[in-house]
Amino acid sequence: MNGVLLEVKDLKTRFRSRGGLVYAVNGVSFHVKRGETLGVVGESGCGKSVTMLSLLRLLPPAARVESGSALFEGQDLLKMNYRQIQKVRGGKIGLIFQDPMTSFNPVLTIGDQVGEALIYHRHASKEVALKRAIELLQLVGIPDPEQRIKDFPHQFSGGMRQRAMIAMALACEPDLIIADEPTTALDVTIQAQIVELVKGLRDRLGVAIIWITHDLSLVAGLADRIMVMYAGMIVEEAKTEEIFDDPRHPYTLGLLSALPAFQAEKKVRRLASIPGSPPDLRAQPISCPFYLRCSYSIDRCCLEMPALQTVRNGKENDHRIACFVNIHERSTVA
Amino acid sequence: MPTSSTVDLKLASEGAAKHEKAIGIWRDSFNRLLKNKMAVVSMVVVLILFFFAIFGPYLTPYDFLKQDLSIRSLPPSVEHWLGTDYLGRDVLSRVIYGARTATLVSLLVVVLSSLIGVIVGSISGYFGGKVDFFLMWFTDLNMAFPNLVLGVVLSVSLRPPLSRWMEQMYLSSLNPVFRQSSLLDLALVVAVIVLVAWCPYARLLRSQVMAVRNYNYVLAARALGLPTFTIVTKYIIPNAIGPVIVQMSAGMGSAMLTESALSFLGIGINPPIPSWGNMINEGLRQWTSAPHLLAAPALVLGLMTVAFSFLGDGLNDALNPRQWKG
Repeated sequence: MNGVLLEVKDLKTRFRSRGGLVYAVNGVSFHVKRGETLGVVGESGCGKSVTMLSLLRLLPPAARVESGSALFEGQDLLKMNYRQIQKVRGGKIGLIFQDPMTSFNPVLTIGDQVGEALIYHRHASKEVALKRAIELLQLVGIPDPEQRIKDFPHQFSGGMRQRAMIAMALACEPDLIIADEPTTALDVTIQAQIVELVKGLRDRLGVAIIWITHDLSLVAGLADRIMVMYAGMIVEEAKTEEIFDDPRHPYTLGLLSALPAFQAEKKVRRLASIPGSPPDLRAQPISCPFYLRCSYSIDRCCLEMPALQTVRNGKENDHRIACFVNIHERSTVA
Repeated sequence: MPTSSTVDLKLASEGAAKHEKAIGIWRDSFNRLLKNKMAVVSMVVVLILFFFAIFGPYLTPYDFLKQDLSIRSLPPSVEHWLGTDYLGRDVLSRVIYGARTATLVSLLVVVLSSLIGVIVGSISGYFGGKVDFFLMWFTDLNMAFPNLVLGVVLSVSLRPPLSRWMEQMYLSSLNPVFRQSSLLDLALVVAVIVLVAWCPYARLLRSQVMAVRNYNYVLAARALGLPTFTIVTKYIIPNAIGPVIVQMSAGMGSAMLTESALSFLGIGINPPIPSWGNMINEGLRQWTSAPHLLAAPALVLGLMTVAFSFLGDGLNDALNPRQWKG
């Protein structure tokens, strides 16, 4: 079951801007196995979305993938010609976007849009596409789909649009779904519904998921593995339980302590925050991007860039961090 | 899963309460248009024009070509509601037939020029870069020519070779179509106006497309692997076309004006086929003695131009509800 589906190596993406080059993604390497759910966590502007858009080559014109490879089912996405990548988009990899309110074309009905991909990827007729759209809407839990496919997007609520977008991404039975902060624009109860829905679909369809979010707690129950990104780099990657039980990178630790704890007997405390702000990505990174905000930093941190290293070998997944410091030893000293 | 059923229930109730008949974006705009009084009046005027343009020849009281030299330049009367012209032809019949000329020319102009404009504008706006630079350079070049002067030069210089060609075609085929100089007039007038008129459409659509192509749903469509042609025609153009429709309405009016101007100068639609422009020209010769000959076509032309302009304004408000200051 566990073949590697996607293997990204040393991906670097740059933006041209008036202030010079922006180093958005700086040598990201990761993999996704078949049927696995990978959570990608990090704050805004840390390169999560850009990484995923780079893979499907959907970057805005000002951005360019400078180097790296992304093997998907043995083929490099970054070297494919236009026809090949078009087949992958929507056909093999489905994308779910952050804002369901603006991700639908207002002049087409929901049914048209959900079924659209089938017409191009599977050469389905319009009737077959619509029929499949009904099935898909049923699958994602939209009631009365026979009627609702005739609706226009503005007649759907945010949560239903997000369901419809999931249906759209699932239309061609992709092997991988990339969900780019799919619940950010929704309120909390709907968020929970969407997460439950995706969980259920994953278990039923066996599709691999990359779930991008800035909310660690959201992916806690969903992801098999979590990858923490900071300033266009991966700073820590481990199994979900390990990230929560035994975080090794100071940034991950900071993220975790910034989560509210819901325990009745615990004393009410102020939420911790990480001091400072993320680094300016217009400078080429030469040192650890986090060292200015890090309470564990040593001299070496501002001189060298820490590479992502394995700190513990797991049965299935290694625990990797990009840090010079062993925070367990340091914390006993401090 | 226990959660899924509760979720479904919740969604079902939400859906049932909110569900109403699907109203498309165009229908919605049309409803808004109907609330605008000036636009409705203009629309009625325009519809009357279209009605006369289509059915005019069956409604005219007299043949628009029939001359009666005994009743030359008469003022309006019971028999001839708008009087007669210098050859004793019924002016009302000629104005009605002129509506047909004006409508035919302006419709052809608007359809052709918006088509060219939409194609050029969407290519330019979607692909950007060098393609955009070249196409917009060409459009600007075209727009820099004075409209009417270019029209005069082209229609004067193109007419002789084209009529020679038509004569040759007639001689070789004996098809009477090639003997109709009015067809040549029509084709030339339309071509000359279209040559310049497509530019504003192209510019307008380009700017719209450049905005729409950055919308999320376009990215979503690209992520689905839809072909570029589908994305442009189904996702971008329908969402960018609003201002072009407004421009089309205004363009109808200005095409009528240009056609009349060319006909007035004697290089558009030539007599005896009536066009408001050549009727104004004929009326101008004796406007001191028979002002109705000038007034009738001029007022109708003015009315139509104003009507199209107000209709365009109404459409603008209807299609861009965010800008509506009602």
